[in-house]
Amino acid sequence: MNDLRIARTPHSPEVDFCFSEHRLTLSGEAYPEDAAAFFHPVLSALEQYLAGADDCDIEFNFRLTYFNSAATKMLYRLFGLLNESACTHNRIILRWQYDAEDDTLLEFGEGVRDDFNALEFHPVALGLAAI
Amino acid sequence: MHLDVFSVFRNSADFSGVLFYYNGPLSQNVIATMGETLRHRLGCADAGGPKARKLFSSFIEMVQNALHYSPDAPGYPGEKVGAVAVGRRNSRDYYIVCGNLVQRSQTQRIRDRIEPLRSMTMDEIRRAYREQLRQEPEADVVSKGAGLGFLTLARDASEPIQYSLIDVPDHGDELSYFYIQATV
Repeated sequence: MNDLRIARTPHSPEVDFCFSEHRLTLSGEAYPEDAAAFFHPVLSALEQYLAGADDCDIEFNFRLTYFNSAATKMLYRLFGLLNESACTHNRIILRWQYDAEDDTLLEFGEGVRDDFNALEFHPVALGLAAI
Repeated sequence: MHLDVFSVFRNSADFSGVLFYYNGPLSQNVIATMGETLRHRLGCADAGGPKARKLFSSFIEMVQNALHYSPDAPGYPGEKVGAVAVGRRNSRDYYIVCGNLVQRSQTQRIRDRIEPLRSMTMDEIRRAYREQLRQEPEADVVSKGAGLGFLTLARDASEPIQYSLIDVPDHGDELSYFYIQATV
């Protein structure tokens, strides 16, 4: 299936889902006017990709530096899809890349680790400049 | 505007430590632009790191709340308006306050959502936040973030959230002003 690429804006993230290489990356900030409208096509593409993936090593790079409460809800759906696939068909590594100074993001990531425990959670602390 | 009136306005803003103030139409672009300005302003005021992040997060939750849930301003169909101020309370704390119109029919619902948060400890707020996250999004048809917005504000605040609901003169039957303040 085709890769999914969406350019970032000041309030919506860059989506770089390279399905052909099983490498999915989300970066930037997420506080779009309508989080559901932004994330629905992203979730559909991901769902379709996961339905066709079997016995793959999938890498999910999470590099969002800020997401509002509405986007947070959508991210939980996204992690739910990944977790479901990791329970049954694929090995999924979640690289949680966060600014070393941002405790809230690390704490949130640890919540994701506990709630979606089929994902291999790898926290990666970065300097802000690298994000 | 009389210059002495402006002077009083400016002095009282100074006295209250205001770093940023806006009152007017709200749109997603206005919010994104204000967000950048606020970040710059906080950077200049030496509010770096976690505090700036929490203020930015509280700012976005409040103004997007105002954009999504306020009814149109009376006499201005399609226009959402709101007022927001961010300021320094003392050497350690900042405040963020937002005011917008709400339907009077929603005021009880707002009270029911905020009031319990005001007496919760930080641990209880964190637990409630995690629980709310795990709930199915369909559980709440009105709220886009399914109640997560107020919990996010409470999580980032260092004191209980303050709020008030006041009837709008001449529109008291259908409209109220909703003011909310967080200390970060």
